[in-house]
Amino acid sequence: MLLDVTLSLLEGFGVTVQMFVLTLVFALPLGLIISFGSMSRFAPLRRLIQGFVWIVRGSPLMLQVLIIFYGPGLLFGLPLLPRFTAALLAFVINYACYFSEIYRGGIQSVPRGQYEAGQVLGMTKPQIFFKITLLQVIKRIIPPMGNEWITLVKDTALVRVISVYEIIWMGESYIKKGMIWPLFYTMVFYLAFNGILTIFFGWLEKKMDYFK
Amino acid sequence: MKKILALALCLMMALSLAACGESSDSDLAYVKEKGTLVVGMTDFAPMDYKEEGSDEWIGFDADMARAFGEDLGVDVEFVEINWDNKAMELQTKAIDVVWNGMTLTEEVKSLMSCSEPYCLNGQVVVVAADVADQYQTTESLSGLSFAAENGSAGAEQLEALGLDYIAVDTQAKALMEVASGASDACVIDLLMAGAMIGEGTSYPDLTYTVQLNSEEYGVGFRQESDLVDAFNTFWKEAYDAGTVMETAKVYGVQESIIEK
Repeated sequence: MLLDVTLSLLEGFGVTVQMFVLTLVFALPLGLIISFGSMSRFAPLRRLIQGFVWIVRGSPLMLQVLIIFYGPGLLFGLPLLPRFTAALLAFVINYACYFSEIYRGGIQSVPRGQYEAGQVLGMTKPQIFFKITLLQVIKRIIPPMGNEWITLVKDTALVRVISVYEIIWMGESYIKKGMIWPLFYTMVFYLAFNGILTIFFGWLEKKMDYFK
Repeated sequence: MKKILALALCLMMALSLAACGESSDSDLAYVKEKGTLVVGMTDFAPMDYKEEGSDEWIGFDADMARAFGEDLGVDVEFVEINWDNKAMELQTKAIDVVWNGMTLTEEVKSLMSCSEPYCLNGQVVVVAADVADQYQTTESLSGLSFAAENGSAGAEQLEALGLDYIAVDTQAKALMEVASGASDACVIDLLMAGAMIGEGTSYPDLTYTVQLNSEEYGVGFRQESDLVDAFNTFWKEAYDAGTVMETAKVYGVQESIIEK
């Protein structure tokens, strides 16, 4: 019985992990692009991006998932995206916006003098960003990133509103068979995965300790 | 500014044109061309469920849905949906039919085009077996704390009686409320109560007492869909051929089937 439940929950957890990994793969670079937009010196672009980030961060992720999946069909009668793809798209957009603010905080916390030093040495703007700023940014954003990643693992539970069968869905389906414990058993999977993430971020922080 | 406005208008026109192209076709033709009938359902024994260790959906509704697919000459695909979203799932063509022991309430009828009723059902009050004696009449129910599925026929009955209840997202969760003692009683479908509670089931300590109403099950299609007629014809033929009753006996629901 325990084995059966574990296997079925693992199947759901596979979907959870896929959602987690794919969201990061797309949202991490997209967030950097959005953060450049929100720091742009071209005011209309900056305001547009800031408005977009406000909407995405200011509204519930669950609504965004529902809108991206059902919206095209309800509003325009268009064919729908596959369920998993729609959920992934919503997560990528949402998390990219959160990441963009973390990047922005990191980038703006690098002292002005460092850019100037780069300029004095005759480096171009991209050279300054990649050779001087970026590494310091990465070091500084590790703690908030760790937070977001752990939140992301748990947020994936939302995708069941459009019937993507992740681990909580699998756990809940046992309630209909009169078994309540599998739902709470899912917690073990989350805790184990977030434990690994915590250790990973701890290690990463130590690794980045070389410049203080 | 003008350019942006023109662009936005173009985009809107393109989108509305795309919308027009979709809606004029016959739903029956759409399903036949696609080659699959996507059935939206939930895990709801004895209508739709999976045997322990099997991946195949069975049950009275599941088996009849397969027969309907065969009749249309298309494959049947079952999608387990979030029951709250059934109307949206239909309208957006994520599914083609809601077929899952669905009670024909006014709300359901306003959201979709429904078949003729095929099965009788009622809402019953479920309580712990050891206190069941005290709650055999509708009058005795006041003072109990209730749970019911959000927007379900059971919830409607409770509202009509002026009784407060906790809304949960499935009937199974409503049962869990009672089993765990979080609520004193819940209101669920008679068919489901028959299959899921009492001795030899997962909830041996629960039983049902008062039946609050009687109602009918139907199958839901998109608004104005010609699949409704196709279904009604199919059902009449299947009933006359004896298929409906045979299938019903397999799942123990023969008493509730409506004569055609």
